[in-house]
Amino acid sequence: MSIVHHPSNQTLGDFANGTLDAGRHVVVSAHIEMCTSCQRMVAALDRLGGAHLEQLPGTPLATGALEKALSRLGDLPPATPAAPRLESELPVRLAALAPYALGRWRWIGWGVHTRTASVPEPGGTRVFLLKAAPGTRLPYHTHTSTELTLILQGAFTHAGGRFGVGDLDDADDTVLHQPVVEPGADCICLVALRGQLRLPGWLGQLLQPFVRL
Amino acid sequence: MQTQDHGGLIAAIATRQDRAAFQALFLHFAPRLKSLMLRMGASPAQAEELAQETMLAVWRKAHLFDPALGGASAWIFSIARNLRVDSARRDQRLGAMQLDPSDAPEAPPGPEHIALERQLNERVRKALAALSQEQLQVIMMSFFEDRAHSEISDHLDLPLGTVKSRLRLAMRRLRHLLDDVT
Repeated sequence: MSIVHHPSNQTLGDFANGTLDAGRHVVVSAHIEMCTSCQRMVAALDRLGGAHLEQLPGTPLATGALEKALSRLGDLPPATPAAPRLESELPVRLAALAPYALGRWRWIGWGVHTRTASVPEPGGTRVFLLKAAPGTRLPYHTHTSTELTLILQGAFTHAGGRFGVGDLDDADDTVLHQPVVEPGADCICLVALRGQLRLPGWLGQLLQPFVRL
Repeated sequence: MQTQDHGGLIAAIATRQDRAAFQALFLHFAPRLKSLMLRMGASPAQAEELAQETMLAVWRKAHLFDPALGGASAWIFSIARNLRVDSARRDQRLGAMQLDPSDAPEAPPGPEHIALERQLNERVRKALAALSQEQLQVIMMSFFEDRAHSEISDHLDLPLGTVKSRLRLAMRRLRHLLDDVT
């Protein structure tokens, strides 16, 4: 496997313990689908989660809870197979994205298009696809909060290294970076963005209204 | 209570829809699941409902569990975690949620899948066994007991920097052990 960039320990831990917000959960789930190493990490963390569950003191359930559960066993709806998403424009078929409607590609400038995914936004996290033409030099930006970027096609490079298919760029507000898309194919990414991008300089001023999505 | 074979109970549900087995699992896990949900930030009413839903999912998904792997509690934990994330999402009533990801195709796993699962399970077992007690403890405390690093630092009587580096090293070692082809 050529994946070298994984979620940070905190992100992976929060994924495992169920406290990641919905938008970030989708992007981390998608990375895990593509990354054998993280599948193993989650399997190991689930073991520890199971041990934790065993150690927890119980909280009594409401009176009649067991009877209620038993009465519901009979009329459980059969599991309905999810219709496979025929997503010809996505280079990778992702179960994590299957439940969500995708908007149209919209041009936001300088060879960059975005497309929103209708993930509900509890923590104000937005999920969208971003497509940038080969050679595109994305503007320098920092974040008021955090950003997760999963590469589905193509590659980009910034001060943090080279990010190819399956790599996850887990950036926080300490990072100032300027991704440059490699020559060859369009770079298509799945992004969870919490807070706003801050684009410094005159170009940023110009681009900011578009990037706000 | 610990001597109960939870995997065997799940298998009994899978093979003969054994309601007594379900009852035994419910009595053991449902109160723990309610505590878990409360710790994941659910309200008491949500925690009650999610504990119920998790147990109903155990009933429905029992055929997907391989008792040879052990790890019944890990399996139930992962179901609970996914239901919690879905419910937080449903609470928002935003966007169109057409499908429950937990309702993805649920054909019983084929032999190839079972072989892969067993390999993964063996890998995980070996890797966790190779971690030191201290390493396991710092991962457990950081991610599952939901303690701040400063609290762990007090509890273990270690400097804060040591806690952070111990967690970093433990996670790196775990990944290394898991990826190491033996």
